[in-house]
Amino acid sequence: MTDELHIKNILNNLNERKKELNCIYQISETLNKADQSLESVLKKVISLMPYGWQFSDNCSVQVIYEDIIFQSPQLKKNDHYQESPLIIDDKIVGNVKIFYDDDQLEFLEEEQRLLYTIAEKISIFLHRKQLKKVLAELEQASISQKQKPEWKTIIELLRQTDSDNYLRIARKLMNYLFWIGRTETECPADAEECSTKDIEPEGLLFTNKPIDRQDKETLIQQSRHIFQLAENNLDDEEILLNIQKWMQEDRLSFLTLTLEDMATSLSDIQNALERFFYLNLDRIELSNYTKKNLSVSLILRFFTDQLEFINIAKHFVDINYFRDLTRRMIFPANSHGKLGGKSAGIFLAKSITSSLFGNKLHGINICYPNTWCITSDTMHRFLYYNNLEEIIEQKYKDIEQIRSEYANIIQLFKNSHFPPEIIKEFNRAIEDFGDNPIIVRSSSLLEDRVGAVFSGKYKSLFLANQGSRLEKINALADAVAEVYASVFSPDPIEYRRERGLLDFHEEMAIIIQQVVGKKVGDYFLPAFAGVAFSHNEFRWSPRIKQDDGLIRIVPGLGTRAVDRLSDDYPILIAPGQPDLRVNVTPDEICRYSPHKIDVINLKKNTFETIEISELLKEHGDEYPMADRILSFYQNGDIRILNKFQMDFKNADPIVTFHGLNHTSKNYVSLIGDILTLLKRKIDAPVDIEFACDGDDFYLLQCRAQSSKVSEQVAVIPKDIPRSDILFNANRFIANGYLPEITHIVYVTPEGYSSLATLDEMKNVARAVAKINKLLPKRKFILMGPGRWGSRGDIKLGVSVTYSDINNTAVLIEIARKKGHFTSDLSFGTHFFQDLVESNILYLPLYPDEENIIFNEKFLLSAENILPQIAPEFAHLADTVRVIDIPAARRNQVLRILMNADLDEALAHFASRDDKSSAASNVIIPVEPVMENHWLWRLRMAEKIASLIKADLFAVQAMYIFGSVKNANAGPASDIDLLLHFTGNDQQRKELLNWLQGWSLCLSELNYLRTGYQTEGLLDIHLITDDDIARNSSFAAKIDAITDAAKPLKMGNHEESPQ
Amino acid sequence: MDSKAFNPFRMAQEQFDKVADILNLDQGTRELLRNPMREYHFSIPVRMDDGTTKVFKGFRVQHNDARGPAKGGIRFHPHETIDTVKALSTWMTWKCSVVDIPLGGSKGGVICDPHNLSLREQEQICRGWVRQIAYNIGPLRDIPAPDVMTNGQHMLWMLDEYETIHGKKFPGFITGKPVGMGGSLGRTEATGYGVVFTIREALRELAINPAETTASVQGFGNVAQYAIELYTQMGGKVICVACWDQKEQKAFSFKKETGVNLEELRSATDRFGGIDLVKAQKLGYEILDGEAWISQEVDILIPAAMENQIRKDNVNSINTKVKIIAEGANGPTTPEADVVIQKNGIFMIPDFLANAGGVTCSYFEQVQCNMNYYWEKDEVLSKLDIKMTSAFLDVSRLAQTKNIYMRDAAYIIAINRVAQACKDRGWV
Repeated sequence: MTDELHIKNILNNLNERKKELNCIYQISETLNKADQSLESVLKKVISLMPYGWQFSDNCSVQVIYEDIIFQSPQLKKNDHYQESPLIIDDKIVGNVKIFYDDDQLEFLEEEQRLLYTIAEKISIFLHRKQLKKVLAELEQASISQKQKPEWKTIIELLRQTDSDNYLRIARKLMNYLFWIGRTETECPADAEECSTKDIEPEGLLFTNKPIDRQDKETLIQQSRHIFQLAENNLDDEEILLNIQKWMQEDRLSFLTLTLEDMATSLSDIQNALERFFYLNLDRIELSNYTKKNLSVSLILRFFTDQLEFINIAKHFVDINYFRDLTRRMIFPANSHGKLGGKSAGIFLAKSITSSLFGNKLHGINICYPNTWCITSDTMHRFLYYNNLEEIIEQKYKDIEQIRSEYANIIQLFKNSHFPPEIIKEFNRAIEDFGDNPIIVRSSSLLEDRVGAVFSGKYKSLFLANQGSRLEKINALADAVAEVYASVFSPDPIEYRRERGLLDFHEEMAIIIQQVVGKKVGDYFLPAFAGVAFSHNEFRWSPRIKQDDGLIRIVPGLGTRAVDRLSDDYPILIAPGQPDLRVNVTPDEICRYSPHKIDVINLKKNTFETIEISELLKEHGDEYPMADRILSFYQNGDIRILNKFQMDFKNADPIVTFHGLNHTSKNYVSLIGDILTLLKRKIDAPVDIEFACDGDDFYLLQCRAQSSKVSEQVAVIPKDIPRSDILFNANRFIANGYLPEITHIVYVTPEGYSSLATLDEMKNVARAVAKINKLLPKRKFILMGPGRWGSRGDIKLGVSVTYSDINNTAVLIEIARKKGHFTSDLSFGTHFFQDLVESNILYLPLYPDEENIIFNEKFLLSAENILPQIAPEFAHLADTVRVIDIPAARRNQVLRILMNADLDEALAHFASRDDKSSAASNVIIPVEPVMENHWLWRLRMAEKIASLIKADLFAVQAMYIFGSVKNANAGPASDIDLLLHFTGNDQQRKELLNWLQGWSLCLSELNYLRTGYQTEGLLDIHLITDDDIARNSSFAAKIDAITDAAKPLKMGNHEESPQ
Repeated sequence: MDSKAFNPFRMAQEQFDKVADILNLDQGTRELLRNPMREYHFSIPVRMDDGTTKVFKGFRVQHNDARGPAKGGIRFHPHETIDTVKALSTWMTWKCSVVDIPLGGSKGGVICDPHNLSLREQEQICRGWVRQIAYNIGPLRDIPAPDVMTNGQHMLWMLDEYETIHGKKFPGFITGKPVGMGGSLGRTEATGYGVVFTIREALRELAINPAETTASVQGFGNVAQYAIELYTQMGGKVICVACWDQKEQKAFSFKKETGVNLEELRSATDRFGGIDLVKAQKLGYEILDGEAWISQEVDILIPAAMENQIRKDNVNSINTKVKIIAEGANGPTTPEADVVIQKNGIFMIPDFLANAGGVTCSYFEQVQCNMNYYWEKDEVLSKLDIKMTSAFLDVSRLAQTKNIYMRDAAYIIAINRVAQACKDRGWV
């Protein structure tokens, strides 16, 4: 191609474009002449259009609008044309066609675009014309009919411009009329046909033939009747409001569609929600069912498809809550993950409390900590990204293997990397949290499901969240990886295995919560935190009802309130009876108050447990709410001081929480009200976790109240023959289930009250203490008159201390009637908190009340083995009776079932192997005996005996006793060995050394099997000739009548290896 | 069956009868001293927090006030019985008498369990108790004090009610009040110091230099700690301390041949006298079995923990070197063990003499309140020394001259003084 030709081409093109532009301008100008008639304008347009085309002379134009056709006078129809539809409100209302009369002439692509543009302009013109016409008509009509209601104007407009929407509104209006019961209303005579009969598909439900399809015109016709009916029955205002609402709802359709399509990913939903809020759609008044539909869809996508949950949540969830949620969500691309149980619980609690309490109650702000969620599928993304998929099989391995590999898995996970898209999100989260400490908690899909109590099985990690941004992100990623690893830790896997949940596709979502608190010195901590339960299972006074609830509260982080601690005590408060505390005397108050506190050390960037007294000495004046949390011990009294009187350097502060329910901000009532509300709305008792930074109250977690194994709710069977019942009870019952009690220690009320001297009574306490050491732990019950642990007046009850009874399974107090006076019971108050922390159940019996069975005959007639097991107390045999149940009841055991909800308890004899009925007695499945913890222990003991160098160590005999011998050893039990030793100190030392090696070895073995860590598994008791002669100490175990030590066969000394 | 049931009051009467036989008291004196002089029973209606009204049963028993205004605690106990209160009031009479303070004996109580009561309800019980008996008690008639499950707070409520009824201030109406609200300084030290004052006098009698003695102490609570403090100041050396470990639920003995350093050991101790095993070990203490304290080769044993600690089964493990046992606790020795101790010729300072420092200090509190002038701690403690010393000397002199066991001598002196006062007043 030559240059000249090229230039010519360009010029040609330019010329064409110029023609097109001219054409558009002229047409636009024409269309803008609004005052001219439709016909004249369109005719003009038709005449102008050909000038935009290359071969204007051969052009002709046709415009079809509804049923009207406009065309060039010279039109020759053929198949050689370009076409564009006319669209008004998304509906095709006609078309524009342009024809060439010569097939040889070619249309250009640019010309097609030109045609589209022109058609669009015509459409706009037509639409405007339409509206104008309608408005004019309406104006006309309103003048003639005086004031026509506004809604009619809108409806009329709709009918003419958007018939689909018109029909939709009509349908909604009809439903509305049905709903408010106005369809029965008489129609005015001149609107006879307006009866709903022709609208309502009466009887259609029962016919089998397909329903005739009605054409749109008929439907529109019918709709008119609906509006007529509405006009007759509703006032104009009401109709208008409804119509406006329905029209706005229509704008929501994009969100509804996104949610209903299960294929949309979380980011689609996130975008839709953002658009929803961007359009201010949240401000409009939505109808209840629209709200519900949206909420349910959102709940389904984010949380769970559990109907129980949805049924409750849908009443309270506000779509606004999802806004924050989605903005603080971390998920991989194309995610369909969920947020897990913990998130769902908090979300539900938040929805319920905010919709019913608002954000303030008793003058206290109810808050929720800043929370980020990581969706459940992020974990699998993490696994795939690091090629760790095979770890998922872990759960099917042997528990020992799982345990030994777990440490590796943690390291493996911590050394893996998160995909960059997730790291980017971590970055956002870290930015959002600033320098606040955070906690990374698991929120697995299994966790907090109804029926499976998964609390505490997975990890929660505190992060001080200090340092550079990079350090913070690394720490967060590390923590998330570690929580992920805990899915593969042996304990939850074992737990799932036991409950048949192993095959559940466990995905772990994670929540990252800002830790609530304030800075005190270098530490960060909340003023107080804890857990609260709707149901109080530990009533320390008969005045406390189950519904009064229970708060376990500690200063600092709530970790110490959640767990039972053996060496420290949280403060217990019943919100329904806040003034009845467990501990009353200054001594009790001091002893049973928290002494340690969990904090985050901002300087060391760690979580720590420190002494409260140390913290207060340094930073007492900074401690938030000190005047309401602390009392002071002064010369034997507990004093409440204000902050000007507090001298932390010298004083002796005690955590009492005395002021939580006193002043204007009543935190105890607040917690009580929240518990009551949640219980009522969720229709089940709940437990919540909370914290307070010194001002605001934060709800951290909410879930259905669970119970520990020994506190399981037992079903009380009604078909036990009376002869098998030892006793029943119906007052102040906690939850509990004890399937295999083998011994009863019964201090007879008559015997005890007839003792003549204090010494004899003290002897009874000593006998009980001795028996407590001899009988198998948690396999016997203690029954006695009045108050166990009486101190002053010991004739009111046996004056034991906690250590004298610490092996019993249940402590039973018997209140007999004397005349018309029933004695008071202690409710275990003397060591109530010790009982709570060590899971010993308490049960009061009132044998003389109606409908109570108390088989005293058995208790008094069964053989008393006291003289045999503790001969030194034989003279107390009338008062202290020790009954070996399997011996007395032909190998039966005693089963005790306690149900707090029914306030009933039952103790009955049952055969030992009656496991099936035992299991069915408990609502939550019991932990089945995984394996014989005792058997391998016994084997090992036998092995040790066979290998011991008896001559060298001067060992005469070896015995085994305790739980291993009794075949009831648990995973944490040690092996009690009794060695008859006759050597010197040197031999003793060597022997103990030799055994220590075994002990450590066995401990490690046991750890691999069970996860219980001990310092050694052997409990060695050396006895001498002297001991045997005097039958003192453990020598009494040899040849004892009950629970005697079993001799172990010792190997031939010379042949023994090593 | 009921007839042989344990009855503390009958026990108190039997104890008295034995001594009365020795003293050869006349029938009238016996009859008077066997029973309380006055016994009040009354009902205390209380509006409970839930709006209901509950009626509590209250008592006050004044056993004998021949030697001065009666004095005794108020107990809140759900199983309170009149027999218990009567017995305790009798023992109060003897206790005040043995240290020779001019007070009689009484006791009172309310059948209730503070564990089931809010503080407001407890306050109402306290005030109700005073309202029922306000004209039969008072600083010059009968002075209450804290006892089982009552404390300084309860005393202040009672005091306030009493003063409101009488329209005047009577700080001496009640003892056991917090310092600054009518309480006395030195109360914390009183019992422990009192124990050592008697030990000092016993040593003097045995002609032993305190600086050359060693001691083993059971318990590390208030009494034990202050006993150790004063004993160490006297030059003595405590080489072993036993105490209960809450965590392990058993007792341990902590031994240091070079002598216990009180301040050092206190730093490893909680406020109930529980010693931290690890800290103690770090401080160089040898940790032994809880029973080990009793078998130490020392001159003095101070059981200052709880009752029934020296029993038939361990009394023989007392080292032959032991010369004095001072009972800092109440009833640490069982009767069978007591017989052995007496036989072995160990100098016994019986509980109600050795630990009378507490009641003496209460008396001082009352005295200070009545004159509305409060002493410095030194003054309280030096007066305590004088009282305890002379009380001890009276008892030991009697024991020596009549060649009787210290415990018996103490009872004889106590009962004799009360009998004499009744006689002098012309009552019998």
